[in-house]
Amino acid sequence: MAAKKAGSGKMKLSAVLDLNEASALHGQLISMRGSDIVLDASGVERVGVQCAQVLVAGARAWDEDKKSFLVEKASDAFEKTMQLIGINPANLVAKEI
Amino acid sequence: MDMNEIKEIFFQECEEQLAELESGLLKLNDGDRDPETVNAVFRAVHSIKGGAGAFGLDDLVSFAHVFETTLDCVRSNKLEPTQDVLKVMLKSADVLADLVAASRDGGSVDETRTRGLVKELEALAHGDVPSPASHEAPKPAAKAPAAAPKAESPKPTDDSGFQPIPFTFDDFGSDEPAIEGSTYDIMFKPRRELYSKGNEAALLLRDLSRIGEMSINCDATALPALDKMDPEGSYFGWTISIKTAKSEDDLRAVFEFAEWDCDLEVKPSEAESSDEELPMIPVPFDLSALDDAPAVDDKAEETLAAAVAAAETASNVAKAAGAAARAEKKETAAAAAAQNNAAAAAAAAGQTIRVDLDRVDRLINLVGELVINQAMLSQSVVENDATGTSAVNIGLEELQQLTREIQDSVMAIRAQPVKPVFQRMSRIVREVADMVGKSIRLVTEGENTEVDKTVIDKIAEPLTHMIRNAVDHGIETPEKREAAGKDPEGTIKLTAKHRSGRILIELADDGGGINRERVKQKAIDNDLIAPDANLSDEEIDNLIFAPGFSTADTISDISGRGVGMDVVKRSIQALGGRISISSRPGLGSTFTMSLPLTLAVLDGMVVTVAGQTLVVPLTAIVETLQPEASAIHSFGATQRLISIRNSFCPLVDVGRILNFRSTQANPVEGVALLVESEGGGQRALMVDAIQGQRQVVIKSLEANYTHVPGIAAATILGDGRVALILDVDAVVAASRGQSLKAEMSLAATG
Repeated sequence: MAAKKAGSGKMKLSAVLDLNEASALHGQLISMRGSDIVLDASGVERVGVQCAQVLVAGARAWDEDKKSFLVEKASDAFEKTMQLIGINPANLVAKEI
Repeated sequence: MDMNEIKEIFFQECEEQLAELESGLLKLNDGDRDPETVNAVFRAVHSIKGGAGAFGLDDLVSFAHVFETTLDCVRSNKLEPTQDVLKVMLKSADVLADLVAASRDGGSVDETRTRGLVKELEALAHGDVPSPASHEAPKPAAKAPAAAPKAESPKPTDDSGFQPIPFTFDDFGSDEPAIEGSTYDIMFKPRRELYSKGNEAALLLRDLSRIGEMSINCDATALPALDKMDPEGSYFGWTISIKTAKSEDDLRAVFEFAEWDCDLEVKPSEAESSDEELPMIPVPFDLSALDDAPAVDDKAEETLAAAVAAAETASNVAKAAGAAARAEKKETAAAAAAQNNAAAAAAAAGQTIRVDLDRVDRLINLVGELVINQAMLSQSVVENDATGTSAVNIGLEELQQLTREIQDSVMAIRAQPVKPVFQRMSRIVREVADMVGKSIRLVTEGENTEVDKTVIDKIAEPLTHMIRNAVDHGIETPEKREAAGKDPEGTIKLTAKHRSGRILIELADDGGGINRERVKQKAIDNDLIAPDANLSDEEIDNLIFAPGFSTADTISDISGRGVGMDVVKRSIQALGGRISISSRPGLGSTFTMSLPLTLAVLDGMVVTVAGQTLVVPLTAIVETLQPEASAIHSFGATQRLISIRNSFCPLVDVGRILNFRSTQANPVEGVALLVESEGGGQRALMVDAIQGQRQVVIKSLEANYTHVPGIAAATILGDGRVALILDVDAVVAASRGQSLKAEMSLAATG
């Protein structure tokens, strides 16, 4: 499971967002399309590029839908990985897009 | 491992890469447009270049570089791989193979040809081709790297905020002193395979960031929409600027396990102000939060960690090998090679191992001895235990079963697909067709058919000769073909398949077929046959196997070198094989070679002939029968026929043919072995008695004694005696006359 549903429009991201989780995360996001979403990244310990790709594509999709896509309580690992791979964490962390 | 061994491994890998290259190019030539095929071709050349660079093989490197550049244009869709383009590529592959061979064995290559091809390749890379580039990939917004990342579905930068912007991280305090050193620009674009093989780009970037002061720009333009993307695909690419005291090699070493699965370019930064051109995000030094060890969390899942740990262990091994090589040789190039090889070895571990052929052969010989020994043991037990019920006897039967399995398994080690030989043939077809101005296509089938390595090694030469012949004499000129209503492009089909314990290799051309009138006339001119000889079509066709026979009006560079099909036939026979031809005028000829799968053992029928023990290969025997007096008929002065199910078959007394006895034996007292001869006809071989059927280990007579007409090889039986293995075809051929020796020359004429 890439993420656990925590109520409507809320999703807790898995601790390990590696290549095994990319498809699950992708499926979750697709199923939640159409409404605002808040992703809880507090428990994330590791992020792989493929999951980052899914998150970025998700953020773009939500932006297209004119809905809010919010990552909150980003863990240190989440934030730093995003920064490491050149994705501006400010755009994913605790900020509506 | 010394440098020579490393170099040897490099050349072995070159062979594999060259095969990969050629098969990829041929696939492209057949219209395959799978990007993975193009990548495989590119990787092959790239790998050769990389290794060659490490060994300072400059000629090889410079040619591979030009070749690689052109291939990169194909890879990035800037150059359409048309037939014309591929023709140049295939020729380049040939030259690359020559350069590899020259680097390995010494010698030189045709420099004029190499220079010409370099020019052609460069022209292609510069777009000088008849067909213009069709769908050039849009350049990413980033500074265009030389090897442009493939844009699967380029999407213009949107305004969702994900186009990276300059960002400062003042809170990330550096715990290292300011770095003195050079700045490098790195372009890194992973391919899907990088991830599917368990690598993780983020970890590579993390390792890279530890080498120096790094800032990064992520190119996310290739990322498709959420519902269109493959979550396991690879869309991000990076441009990285890193200031470090380390060398370029150290930077590359970070990617060494992913090198084949990504586009990577590392070069010294051209401008100090490169940061201004691209929005780069500085990467903090303290990335301990990303460490995969317990530093992250004890609960972290193990899957990726295990893969990463394995990769890192291997990486350390590679690095250690590299360090050792550096210390010893003080050559960074050598170190890089050691690293490459160690890396490749580590990657390949678990699937295949390279074993010296001598070791395998020694094992095979030992197993052969084991088989003989086991047979001897069985025999002595049988002699002392007539009932066959003792525990020893039962145990021996099991041992026999096991020995057989061991032998089969050992033989399987030597079995290899015929693919490499077939691939070599496509080059020969290309080159010879070019020389004679013909357009010929080689179609291969069953390349994965496996056969013993010795057979593979020995089949190449006769096959080459036959291919040259087929191109030179078999296929007509395009004009003649058009006039005959055929496709101007000729086709040669090379097929391999297994059939009843043998391998069958067929070489078929769709040329003009054998000109029987001309063949017959030539045979008469050369005194091979009498002018009034009445020969069947098959017999005329088989005349081409006669020594010194050549129908070519002019001696060409390609085939008519005085070495005819008789040499081919002898080579095939020396392998225990048979060759035959069938030809249809105007439609082409088909050569069929039937070869044993292994030269080490054979299943044989042990028979007695005039007090001697002989082994008849089981594959040759159709059936055995006890002739009745009423079924034997005399024919002419010496010939006898046996009537089997209302048809007559010549009876051949093996003892008489081999001169074991001076008079013909009484057929009724013996056993007839019905064998199929090369031409398809049957003969009944008369032997005195059948002793049994068993697997025998072949011992070469030529190597240990000398060639004996009518005898293919020898073996050692369970009782320690030497038994001769009958050459059925030679005996059948000899049966047409009085003595074996006199008939051997006739046999060669088919």
